[in-house]
Amino acid sequence: MTAEDQPWTHRFRPSCQAEVVGNERALSQLVTWIRSWEKGIPKVRAVFLHGPPGVGKTSCVVAIANDLDMDLLEVNASDFRTKKRLEELVGRASLQTVTITGKRRMILFDELEGVSGQQDRGGIASIRDIIKETMIPIVLIATSPGEQWEDKFRPLVDISILIEFSPIPFGAMVRRLKECARELGINVDEEVLEHLADRSQGDLRSTLNDLEAVSRGRERVTLQDVEGLGRRDRNDYTPDALNKMFAAKSLMEARGVISSAHINYDTLFDWIYENLPVVLDNPRDLARGMDALSRADIHQTRAQKTQAYRLLKYMFNDMTGGVALSNLYSTGAGLLSQVREKTAALGFPPGALTVTESRGGIEVRPVRYLGGDWRRVNDGLREVGAQWVRGGNAWLIPYFRPPQLVWRYRRTFHSRRRRNEVAAKLAERCHISSREAVADVIPLVKVMVDGDASMAEEITGWLDLDEKQSKWLKG
Amino acid sequence: MSSGMWAEKYRPKILDEMWNQTEIVSRLKSFVKDRNLPHLLFVGPAGTGKTTGILALARDLYGPAYQNYILELNASDERGINVIREKVKNFARTAAITSEVPFKILIMDEADSLTSAAQHALRRTMEIYTRTCRFVLIGNYSENIIEPIQSRCSVFRFSPLGEADAKGWISHIAECEELNLLPEGLDAIYEASVGDLRKATNLLQAAAATQGGQIDDVTIYSVLGRVSPGKVRELINLGLKGEFMEAREVLRGLLIDEGLAADDIIRLIYSEVLRLNIPERYKVRLSDTIGEIDYRLTQGARAEIQLSTFVAKLAIVGEEING
Repeated sequence: MTAEDQPWTHRFRPSCQAEVVGNERALSQLVTWIRSWEKGIPKVRAVFLHGPPGVGKTSCVVAIANDLDMDLLEVNASDFRTKKRLEELVGRASLQTVTITGKRRMILFDELEGVSGQQDRGGIASIRDIIKETMIPIVLIATSPGEQWEDKFRPLVDISILIEFSPIPFGAMVRRLKECARELGINVDEEVLEHLADRSQGDLRSTLNDLEAVSRGRERVTLQDVEGLGRRDRNDYTPDALNKMFAAKSLMEARGVISSAHINYDTLFDWIYENLPVVLDNPRDLARGMDALSRADIHQTRAQKTQAYRLLKYMFNDMTGGVALSNLYSTGAGLLSQVREKTAALGFPPGALTVTESRGGIEVRPVRYLGGDWRRVNDGLREVGAQWVRGGNAWLIPYFRPPQLVWRYRRTFHSRRRRNEVAAKLAERCHISSREAVADVIPLVKVMVDGDASMAEEITGWLDLDEKQSKWLKG
Repeated sequence: MSSGMWAEKYRPKILDEMWNQTEIVSRLKSFVKDRNLPHLLFVGPAGTGKTTGILALARDLYGPAYQNYILELNASDERGINVIREKVKNFARTAAITSEVPFKILIMDEADSLTSAAQHALRRTMEIYTRTCRFVLIGNYSENIIEPIQSRCSVFRFSPLGEADAKGWISHIAECEELNLLPEGLDAIYEASVGDLRKATNLLQAAAATQGGQIDDVTIYSVLGRVSPGKVRELINLGLKGEFMEAREVLRGLLIDEGLAADDIIRLIYSEVLRLNIPERYKVRLSDTIGEIDYRLTQGARAEIQLSTFVAKLAIVGEEING
């Protein structure tokens, strides 16, 4: 396979430490520990790398092995199934410090998160035994700790050094994408790279995949080309899981959502926060529910700060049970009545639009042909989150909507950037901090610019704003 | 040359133009006369002349090319003490040449926002470069500045401007800009800005932009309604009415679209709550809730979640008040 044929994620995998993007601290911690083996067996014989997907956990290990000219024995989740298989693979290797050719060696257990519960418990125990005896460095890798992190990996966590990997920062990601595009000789608009980096949440691997998907066979890639790209759906069907959670009558029942939702718990947290005011339509219930959610937030902060992941269970209890069991007086009709009010406000004779509950949400169905009114109704219903279902000839307002926060950040990406640029210029000219500029000065400058065209020209000229920045300020 | 922001246009350029903080100004003048000064710590509320004072001093001391001899840093905009140290090092290690003043001036605004560990690092840096560089630290509260730094600086406390001084200043600008500022308008500006001259000046300029003719209290209130405090009041009122979803949209607008820091929103919420027309005991209760949230935010909690919780609790208060 020539370099051209390889998937880009392989082609651009770092071959040495210098090529690794982001996570500098984790990388140096890791390399220091591996090198410490050159002076004999250290006290802790394994490291545990954890973090979100696509941020370079495996790449770091491979790069270091290359740099130090070590032999890397990679073992994946499928190999953990039985103790016998595992021992065949690595049992002996772990006791021999060098290969036949005289290279030092190291073992990598990748994708540990793929080890599931009971049936693989034997596998975890075997890994632990191997670590206790090993004469060579052992690296363990798992993507972000989930609910059972503690219980599942306890035996391993206890005897290894934890190293956390973080999402790749936006700027570093854009720089790397630019390098790749240059090396490939493709002409990609900077906006495209920013857009791809922005939607990936710090996952460099998925971004490279996306870049490849939009660029292959094109000479120039514009923002338009990216529109067709599907969003990487990390969620299985979350609304069903939420439905169960909000209806739960016991803590354990509610907590089930953590594993059944198939999404990361902090994304789940955002889903719950987004939809809680619709379900808890009684103000006292809502206040209690929000209180529980805010406590969950605190438990999470503490768990992260102290690296004591056992604290996460208190977060889970608060965000699921705490919210669900706050429901004492709510009717759950919040969304239904909201839609009824909306349709009533549209001014049709009774019966012209029927409002019914269905499995996925609330349906609004026109009884007669709406003609020119369709657009007006559509606009009105869109405000409550409705979507026109073409085949069904009705609008559907889903019971649960995805977290709006992320969308809002994405939608406002460019305007926030302009805002920060303008704030920086104001800060310099007015001898204040950017923060003060954003909080106290920009809102007033917007009023000035909006109210008086000649003052607007003066101010934008004085601040030396470019066209985009002035447009933002005037907009 | 276009004049841009009035707050800059009318900022006193030399010490002689400063007309408030008379005691401080006379001390600063004597430093200029001596061609020497100690490290300085300026503390006081926003818009009382701290930055103006040091910039004017620098101009008097170095002449029109004073920009070459000063470095302005804002602690809240710099990424960590290491970046600051690096910048200070690069600036301070070369002596001030071609000037009869043998040192340069480093101005560190919002120094009180530095953590105490960062301040200790800064103190070390101050010591190393004392020969070639004077440090002027600026902040709102001296309590947040570590003692070892305070003891190495001459401390100047800038007091908030009195009503007559503040109003005199605003009227002066109104006159220069040939505005028709009515007394009710002047009162409203003073009430909204208290002793903060920058805020008052910006407010006046915004009002002048929206209103060609007379500027009265209505003009000022309509400007205020369009900026953050107005939006925070809307947020609180929606919360009290139990309109959680709408309030949350306003909150997201402030946090995301306008990019306000959580601290700033908390500060605005707090001052709006004190002004609310509700029974006093509810103010105490809300203040307690705000205090809890304020603390949680210092511990790294998520702003939107915590502030939404406050909004949800407002509904309960609203319900109780209305029986």
